[in-house]
Amino acid sequence: MFSPDRYEFFCPVKTNSGSRALEHLPFELDTMNATKPFVITSQKDARRGLVDVIIDAFKDSGVTIGIFDGAPAAPGMKLIKELFTMYRDGGYDSLIAVGGGAVVDTAKILNIAVSGAPEDIERYAGSDLITKPLKPLVLVPTLSGTGYESSRYACIDTLSFSSCFLMPHLVVIDPRMIVFEDVETTAAASLVTLTHAVEVYTGPEKNPLSDSYAYAAIRFVMENLVSVIRDPRDGKGRLALVNAHNAAGCAFSNSTPGMAHRLGKAVGDACQLSWGLCMGILLPHILERQTSEDGYHIPGLLLPLAGFDVYAETPEHMKVQKAIGILYDFQRDLFEASRGAIVRSLKDAEVPEEMLRDIARKAAGRSSTGFDADVSLMVLEQAWKGK
Amino acid sequence: MNLPGYYEFCCRVKIIAGHDALEKIPDALAYLRARTPMIVSDKGVAGAGLIDIVTSAIKDGVTIGAVADDVPPDSDLQVVHRLARLYREKRCDSLIAVGGGSVMDTAKGVNILISENADDLMKFSGANALKRALKPLIAIPTTAGTGSEVTLVAVVKDHERHLKMAFVSYFLLPDVSVLDSRMTLSLPPAITAATGMDALAHAVEAYTCLAKNPLSDAHALAAINLIGENLVRVTRDPGDKNGRLAMANAATLAGIAFSNSMVGMVHTLGHSAGSVCGVPHGVCMAILLPYGLEYNMHKNGHLTAELLFPLGGAQVYAATPEGERADKVIALVRRINEDLHEASGGRHPRFFREVVDREGKQMVPREKLPEIAKTALSDGSLFYNPEDLDYDDFLMVMETSWEGEPLERRKIKKG
Amino acid sequence: MGTIREVKSGKKSLKKDYVAIMMWFMGRAIQAAASVDRDVRKEFAELPDRFTFDLCVMPDGPHMIVGKDRKGYVRYMGWDTEGKRTNLRIKIKNLEAAILMFTFQESTALATARNRLVVDGEVPHACAAVRILDIVEVYLLPKIIAKLAVKRYPLWSPGRKYIGRVFVYLRTVLGL
Repeated sequence: MFSPDRYEFFCPVKTNSGSRALEHLPFELDTMNATKPFVITSQKDARRGLVDVIIDAFKDSGVTIGIFDGAPAAPGMKLIKELFTMYRDGGYDSLIAVGGGAVVDTAKILNIAVSGAPEDIERYAGSDLITKPLKPLVLVPTLSGTGYESSRYACIDTLSFSSCFLMPHLVVIDPRMIVFEDVETTAAASLVTLTHAVEVYTGPEKNPLSDSYAYAAIRFVMENLVSVIRDPRDGKGRLALVNAHNAAGCAFSNSTPGMAHRLGKAVGDACQLSWGLCMGILLPHILERQTSEDGYHIPGLLLPLAGFDVYAETPEHMKVQKAIGILYDFQRDLFEASRGAIVRSLKDAEVPEEMLRDIARKAAGRSSTGFDADVSLMVLEQAWKGK
Repeated sequence: MNLPGYYEFCCRVKIIAGHDALEKIPDALAYLRARTPMIVSDKGVAGAGLIDIVTSAIKDGVTIGAVADDVPPDSDLQVVHRLARLYREKRCDSLIAVGGGSVMDTAKGVNILISENADDLMKFSGANALKRALKPLIAIPTTAGTGSEVTLVAVVKDHERHLKMAFVSYFLLPDVSVLDSRMTLSLPPAITAATGMDALAHAVEAYTCLAKNPLSDAHALAAINLIGENLVRVTRDPGDKNGRLAMANAATLAGIAFSNSMVGMVHTLGHSAGSVCGVPHGVCMAILLPYGLEYNMHKNGHLTAELLFPLGGAQVYAATPEGERADKVIALVRRINEDLHEASGGRHPRFFREVVDREGKQMVPREKLPEIAKTALSDGSLFYNPEDLDYDDFLMVMETSWEGEPLERRKIKKG
Repeated sequence: MGTIREVKSGKKSLKKDYVAIMMWFMGRAIQAAASVDRDVRKEFAELPDRFTFDLCVMPDGPHMIVGKDRKGYVRYMGWDTEGKRTNLRIKIKNLEAAILMFTFQESTALATARNRLVVDGEVPHACAAVRILDIVEVYLLPKIIAKLAVKRYPLWSPGRKYIGRVFVYLRTVLGL
């Protein structure tokens, strides 16, 4: 097994997952010295009855909660400042973010404000500028997330934040909250998760700690995404997927984003496509270009992708090919299960071929590591055609 | 990947690992707003020159407030109080624990007193008695290992009143755990073997007992793989730096796994044998591990079978028919014990009958087995074991592991 | 822009009553089993004098208090903690977890593995308490349910199983 010469790893997240997980919240809040949590969620999730589940979970606990269920899809600083006032005036001491995407970003950034002052928000925008723990933040994920909820990242307006102190202290994964949204959202978050976990597991910063989270994430996505897309009633599968999103968020927060992340994001931003869809298309094409000489560890990827038996039976020199082949097969299975909604090439995703050169140049230009513009373009062209 | 009906997982310790990881401590302390640490350690560690290595690595970046290197082999309440007084006298602002389980427990106990500004440790005993973060604590393990650099538990004995106090809280976790190969390079073969088997038992029990969960499973599999590939090797070749780092990683991974998924009967009996006869913990783990797997086979044999992959390697796994894998794992563990016995010049025992102290005197007389079996009934780890054990069951396992014979499966009462 | 509303913690009266009733029954059954069953007697004999334990639901009840009185007899001491000193408290973290236990969807072992319990007191005492609870459950419940509640269904003599069960039930109902 690969053992690196040096590494660092930190994950502040506690994960509670399973039946009646929400009912543990009063106890957990007490251990964090929190007595009055402020719940933030979206109108959509409130209408779906998810807030009622939270209220029910707090029955008999003696804990009073505040609920704000108007978090919009694109929050701004104005909203954060209003929420700050509500939080302070109501005497709250902790946050519970219910949902995904913008709701969670709102909560993370609000947490900066309530742990200090609203002016702190602009001061801490950027990378690793927060220097000490914030107030308790609980995340209750649903299946309407992006895959970034447990991670160190958040953004609002034009500001982006990256800090381990933004990660939730506690993630409560309760089956009652994991309602199926739609094929695209579930697939996008899970493909972001898969991409992040694979890049952690195979990248130059590979280490046994981040591998443990990444391994769990990859196994859960490979074992469950296709069946959940095919039959959203698969409750155990949905629970496994959200577990995967959480684990990958933890792993991803400890390493530098890889090429599949960067190129996927670049294509998505340029063409208004979901990052997950783009990353999912690009991932195997990118792995084909990464070699051990450059510090990548692709053969070992076969283990979480396919399990013990396949890994053990595959000869060493065939492992890379087999692993990448499994990812192409996975694309095909997703395409079929989703009846064509999850496409397998950038062409089918309606990315104009003329844009590829520009995307490649911009993505490569942002950092000195990873592929240069020429290799990026080659990868994009292959991914445009598809397998 | 197994997904249980409900589970909890947390490891909030920052891990810094490498051949020169110690040099990163001043920055780690600065990040925690500390610069005057008190070093807590024991005579064994000092004697091996390890405290000197630590102080050389950090002295330019911090002011070492105090060095206390007299922690006894068993964490003691009086010592905890004395060290807390020393910390306050020297106006330290953080702790660095360099050592094994007892040093870690002592440091955690001291941290409670100095952070809460208290004089009575007893007030904080039990679970969740702490409500807020303690002072910065850096843990540097010198064995591979107990895993206590990543556990939320501390045990401190009050030898005067014959009490054992247990403290359980996420706030007890060290802020940073530093895994540096230099810390175990001089570990003698017998201790390398015993502490390595301790780590293996942690990982195996975490994977096969009732509180298993996907994240601890992943950590456990990695630990078992590293131990399978490195333990015998570093016992034979103590100077193998890469092997030492691999084992340090394995012990931490195993510590994370069992801290979250608990342990079972191997620890139940191991704790008892340790408390009744003074057998070192790692030795108990090594001897009892195959018996735990045999006893529980009818309940978790399918999980044991999976462990052939990390422990034996991919080729052995592929070559062994599915129905034989669990037995092969048990045979492998026994084989590892034999190899360690040989590599340590006969000092690593394979069964309880051959456990001797420094003077060569037998530590576990046969007459003591009933007492060990009885004591086992009071150990909480029993809750997490897949199958139940009463006094007769414990005695049967102790008698068989005393002789070194395999367990007779037909004698196991199945639930 | 939405508004914020405060929601005070409501009540779950029906569930709480159910747990309270089950605990009442269990407490009296422990008292009964302590006179009928030699293993339960032995477990209590090895516990300290006046030993009392409280099985309860967080944050504030219901409670089941059982202990040895001045003369050493095992008594169910009710649900009121007022003025009572307990050596051991086994706390179920919330009402839902208690429902899972008392509807036998989670055995004591599973509830422990799933972090539903907090033990306040000495671990050896907790081990004894769980063994007592297990034996009492075997007396009270039909085998098919008891097997869900305990880790290993014991092999008892017919005398212990049938006659013992009759006596435990009788004493539980009559409060002896």
